Amino acid sequence: MSTARSLSRKRPSGRKALLATAMLLVAVASAFPLAWMVLSSLKTPAETMQVPPVWIPHTPSFEAYEKVAGVINVGRSMWNSLVIASVTTAGILVTSMMAGYAFAKYSFPGRSLLFSVLIATMFLPPIVTLIPLYRMVGSMGLSASLAGIIVPNLANAFGIFLMRQFIAGVPDELIDAARMDGASELLILYKIVAPSVAPAIAALALFAFVYHWNSYLWPLTVLQGNADAYPIVISLSRLLSYNRGAVNTGLVMAGATLAVLPPLILFVFLQRFFVDSIVGSAIKG
Amino acid sequence: MAKAFRASAGIMLAPAVTLIGVFVLVPMLLTVWLSFQDWSTQTPFSEANFVGLGNFQEIFGATSVGRDFKAALFNTAIYTALSVILILPLSVVLGLMVYQRDVAGGTALRTVLFSTYMVPMIAVALVWSKLYSPSEGPFNQLLGLIGISPQPWLSSPRSALVSIVLLNVWQQVGYFTVLAIAGLTQIPGSLYEAATLDGANRREQFRFITLPLLRRTLLFSAVIAIINAVQVFEPVALITQGGPVGSTNVLTYHIRRVGIERAQGGLGSAMAVMLMLSLIVCVSALFAFVNRKDSE
Repeated sequence: MSTARSLSRKRPSGRKALLATAMLLVAVASAFPLAWMVLSSLKTPAETMQVPPVWIPHTPSFEAYEKVAGVINVGRSMWNSLVIASVTTAGILVTSMMAGYAFAKYSFPGRSLLFSVLIATMFLPPIVTLIPLYRMVGSMGLSASLAGIIVPNLANAFGIFLMRQFIAGVPDELIDAARMDGASELLILYKIVAPSVAPAIAALALFAFVYHWNSYLWPLTVLQGNADAYPIVISLSRLLSYNRGAVNTGLVMAGATLAVLPPLILFVFLQRFFVDSIVGSAIKG
Repeated sequence: MAKAFRASAGIMLAPAVTLIGVFVLVPMLLTVWLSFQDWSTQTPFSEANFVGLGNFQEIFGATSVGRDFKAALFNTAIYTALSVILILPLSVVLGLMVYQRDVAGGTALRTVLFSTYMVPMIAVALVWSKLYSPSEGPFNQLLGLIGISPQPWLSSPRSALVSIVLLNVWQQVGYFTVLAIAGLTQIPGSLYEAATLDGANRREQFRFITLPLLRRTLLFSAVIAIINAVQVFEPVALITQGGPVGSTNVLTYHIRRVGIERAQGGLGSAMAVMLMLSLIVCVSALFAFVNRKDSE
């Protein structure tokens, strides 16, 4: 890599200018829709309807946000999203660490077969299981509830895979020493293994949280119109149908901004973990 | 000692294996079983009646059920192919932009690109439906600046599916760029050094070193891109409802409509099985293609 860098330093500066321009254009194209979303959420209703469009609101107002609060129960929806995302994430962490530890550090008959079967489920689109799962969750008495959204997602193959990759790198000597001291396996996992793979745990936690904050198909299917249990992403769809055809752009943009903020804020502060775990999942396999 | 570990392995695996077994593997097998049954989603599984290949005959038949399903399968194939064709080359180009060191700002660019992957699809769909708005939407306004006439985007059957592909590419390309960067970091710098000594220019280095050594990464990316593409749901459910004229009726949306909303669980399951089989065929073909290239 370092040689590639030093060789390319000799390139002419016209090429650099072109590259810098291309990079800037890509960044602008990538950031534009979200920037436009935030700007539009601050416009007055008249401004959102104007042709040609107003790019920057003249007098930024939070009127649209107030209106959102009048159409959907923002606090309740955000709370539901928080409960769904954090409880699911906690479950995924526990189940993934335990199973990942077993796959990385124990040998038992059928280990590779079981691992292959579990990993194969990673590539199964959720729609394939949606119909029977909907019925099963209903007959367990969990439909139209937060539990119905959470329980089927408490374990997943990606988490097990990621944890196995990272736990395999924890030295056996550390674990054996703790066993000599008479520590139980669960205690070893908690006290010795978990701290050694903390960055991977952080990555998995963030991934799971954002994924389940954003998840739409399953909650929509389970909840069957029980608005009290709506996460914010489902409440948003009510904004679009509210006042359809009339001035609702600002309203929709304000709602979208509210839903985007939590995952985006998490990402900005912790993006290193996100990127590391994607790279880990791609090249360690 | 070994025996004790076998017991621990059981304890450690029990929660994950039970949950994945009950909520993924059992429903998957049920989907396959239900595809051979006449069954309403509103009734218990015990009410199902075996109909052999009846559901499959119906979804590939000449009635409206068959026409709608075949159209949805076709739309999904187009959507998936377009997504992969756009995402893979873009991810390599953007990956090179982030990875190069001639111009500063690569890491910042990566952050901007990847941030869109964090945005809930529902918000992406809402924002883009307004960006695409034919009259007051900014896209047509920008096109007007460079002298291109306004496009109908989501409102025409000719362009609606492509418009959804574009918003999907915008959201996901950052993720695939990070995958491409991971692949690029695996290529030893000494190869480029040797190639430069042999007089290979940049284009030749890309063609004969970068691209062949990215093959595995691109295979992984292609598989993920395909699996992601068949899951497209929010923009269709929220904005186009499968229209105009069925042009955006894709499988995830269609299967849910048939199997949940219309409660035709048997038919929906047969469609889901066909989706699963199509995926297996596509992914196997991809692997076979790359393996053949590898042995060349």
